[in-house]
Amino acid sequence: MQTRVIRRALQVTVLGGVFMVLLAVNAGAMIQGITGTSFNLTATTGHISTPDSGSYLIWGYANGAGLAQYPGPTIIVNEGDQVQVKLTNSLTVAGAGPAPNVSIVFPGQHVVVSPTDPGIPGILANEAAPGGTVTYQFTAAKPGTYTYYSGTDSALQVEMGLIGAMIVRPASGANYAYNHPDTQFDRETLFLLSEMDPRIHQVVETFGPDAVAATGYLANYFPVLWFINGRAAPDTMADNGVPWLPNQPYNCMPMMNPGDRLLMRVIGGGRDMHPFHFHGNHARVIARDGRLLESTPGAGPDLSHELFTIQSQPGSTVDAIFGWTGQGLGWDIYGSPAEGPEYVHECMDMDNDDFDDMTHEYCPDHYKPFPVTLPGSLELTFGGFYSGSPFLGLVQSLPPGEGGMNPNGGYTYMWHSHTEKEMVNYDIFPGGMMTMLIIEAPGVMIH
Amino acid sequence: MTTKRRYSLMGATLGGFLAMLAPLPGYAAINVQCPGDTNGSATWDAGEVQPPNTKCMHLGAGDGFITMADGATQYIFGFSDLTGLVTKPVPPDTGDDVMMEGMLGASFPAPPIMLDEGDEFYLTLTNVGMMMRPDLFDPHSVHYHGFPEAAPIFDGVPDASISINMGSSLTYYYKINDPGTYMYHCHVEATEHMQMGMLGNLYVRPVQDGTTYTYGGRDYTKFAYNDGDGSTGYDKDYPIQIGSMDSAFHNASLTVQPLPFALMEDDYPMLNGRGYPDTVNPAALPPPAGNVNGGKASQKESSLIEAAPGERVLLRISNLNVTRFYTLATLGVDMTVVGMNAKLLRGPDGKDLYYKTNSVTLGGGESVDAIIEIPVDAAAGTKYFLYTTNLNYLSNNTEPFGGMMTEIRVN
Repeated sequence: MQTRVIRRALQVTVLGGVFMVLLAVNAGAMIQGITGTSFNLTATTGHISTPDSGSYLIWGYANGAGLAQYPGPTIIVNEGDQVQVKLTNSLTVAGAGPAPNVSIVFPGQHVVVSPTDPGIPGILANEAAPGGTVTYQFTAAKPGTYTYYSGTDSALQVEMGLIGAMIVRPASGANYAYNHPDTQFDRETLFLLSEMDPRIHQVVETFGPDAVAATGYLANYFPVLWFINGRAAPDTMADNGVPWLPNQPYNCMPMMNPGDRLLMRVIGGGRDMHPFHFHGNHARVIARDGRLLESTPGAGPDLSHELFTIQSQPGSTVDAIFGWTGQGLGWDIYGSPAEGPEYVHECMDMDNDDFDDMTHEYCPDHYKPFPVTLPGSLELTFGGFYSGSPFLGLVQSLPPGEGGMNPNGGYTYMWHSHTEKEMVNYDIFPGGMMTMLIIEAPGVMIH
Repeated sequence: MTTKRRYSLMGATLGGFLAMLAPLPGYAAINVQCPGDTNGSATWDAGEVQPPNTKCMHLGAGDGFITMADGATQYIFGFSDLTGLVTKPVPPDTGDDVMMEGMLGASFPAPPIMLDEGDEFYLTLTNVGMMMRPDLFDPHSVHYHGFPEAAPIFDGVPDASISINMGSSLTYYYKINDPGTYMYHCHVEATEHMQMGMLGNLYVRPVQDGTTYTYGGRDYTKFAYNDGDGSTGYDKDYPIQIGSMDSAFHNASLTVQPLPFALMEDDYPMLNGRGYPDTVNPAALPPPAGNVNGGKASQKESSLIEAAPGERVLLRISNLNVTRFYTLATLGVDMTVVGMNAKLLRGPDGKDLYYKTNSVTLGGGESVDAIIEIPVDAAAGTKYFLYTTNLNYLSNNTEPFGGMMTEIRVN
């Protein structure tokens, strides 16, 4: 009851004053990263943690003199920017051999090296020798979602962690994925999917990278850890930048309100394909590899289509727009008077689009009663994200020790690799390539 | 709720105990909820009125056994079809023994669910427990995979909502608005329960069915989607579910050993729960040998595809294995992919995105709708093949040239 009163009050607030907030996109709704046009990345070592108490050596790109990150800093630039990325090679390795050269490739960009800092020639890209630098230059000509990774001994170096995401924001504005109105979004989330074979990391840490070849592990690859944005579940759901994950600063915690458009930027960051399944609804795939799925320039995503599982391929990116209102469920997600007087609420559809103008409730289902009787609590096992109620925005009592991870009574959905083997941390279920989407009730502020 | 009867888990032993708990709401009760059905059978018997557009089903969730194409017997978790069993008798108790029917009744794949757009679907899941694993107290759930605009309460993800304990029932409700090829599975401890076999076909026929459209010079009344032009019209449709199992994992489960999640590698590739040549057996496979599951047929779904020259065959292909991607290819005939992930393959302004191919690649949780056109001049007896081009998976464990393959026979 209390929750509902607050919700209605917040809707009134929305009428009054939140238009200003809507004009400027909420920073919390956007992907974190480094911005500007000139970047200093450093390839260096660090250790990541996995929820099964694992700790593994990585080679990661750091922002300047910062810590190695897995994945590297998300580079966020604007369409048309003249971008410069200076890479410093600060890798140190075990064993007798020297540290390797490192580099960066930027798929989708036309890269040249700076005439004043060309590095040394490599195969896929010019490289920075140990202690040395190389500077890449390109024009961020086309908006979209991209990845960047080491073009030097990539099978080993990307496995070690030298991989990151890059976002080019379009001239249309930061809340557009591309230069077309149909690509507008309210919130965005990065899903950089990767896997890891710990044996390789242990050999590199103990004996150095030169010892890997003799093990055959790169050829007989056998991952047992899986990540989104460099974290394995449940760490995916911790905050950005939590102190206990210093080398894994990025979380993956999609949150939205009903009616929001959530842009999913999905990147294949490892060597395997992953079927990324998002519960709740279909999403419309609007672009692949930073190119809008359009038949002619300016047409907008007219070749887009809807999926419930994105087939993420190595080195590829997919942009998809997800939305949810509960349309057509056949019962009222806010309850009906048949369930009790506290469920009284309105569905105001002044623009006749079948949805409440503020809450996006689907009005044709308004006050349709909940269709079944739920079993008693002794017959049920409760999830940590269960609010105690089938209705959105309500928190109701649960037996002691149950629930508790969903304080606003949001609707929660598992978003995960449907190669379910990848939903474990080694032999421990659940974990791995998994997170939860939270759809908070209208009026619940999302940070 | 007021007339709910309660059943003991394993027979009379617990009966008295449960009767003492009768005043408590809903404790360990089989409770089939189906509008118009008064005896809890999830069907409408004489004197019962089926409301319009209403469908009901009663699934059991438990364990059982299947026979692999090389003759090996394998332990599974799975769903059984309990629809039709009377669960709400008036005194004296004349109901069917649902628990006895469900226990060791698991089938693979799970009983197929066929729905029509516009249906209201009441799906009751009764957890009958795992007979071979009395140490387990696992709840179960149904995840209607791909259901659009889903609500967590009926989505079956245990972390996000609720799942049902042993001896009890949970009724899921779905308003069926969107045709297409979906799938369903248990989402409790998903890696384990899905590897163990709690997977099944689920598809929804469009409201356009029954309307006649002429396409390519032929009339169709059945369609994959509401295409408006008959381009997804078909004569016959076949659900084909890709699956594979790791026998080491199943043996570890049966013998109560630690489960090899990280080491999971499937060695029995299958279509609709069988390896070739069992896939082309049109009948249910005989019950597993040795009466291990009480003589219950547990593999009822054939994958044999039969059609006449000129006919169009809709393959509703889904993949619910938990370890890898598979490519399915046709030999001898093209496929036209007209749907993907339970959506007509068209752009938002109606542009056709159909494509012809000889292969489709699906990871777990993906589906495609592909139409095969049997050549008009194909001779009766002609065989085409649908098989995985991940060629090492044309095998039944160590037995070569079986596995993930079936035949398309011209009749």
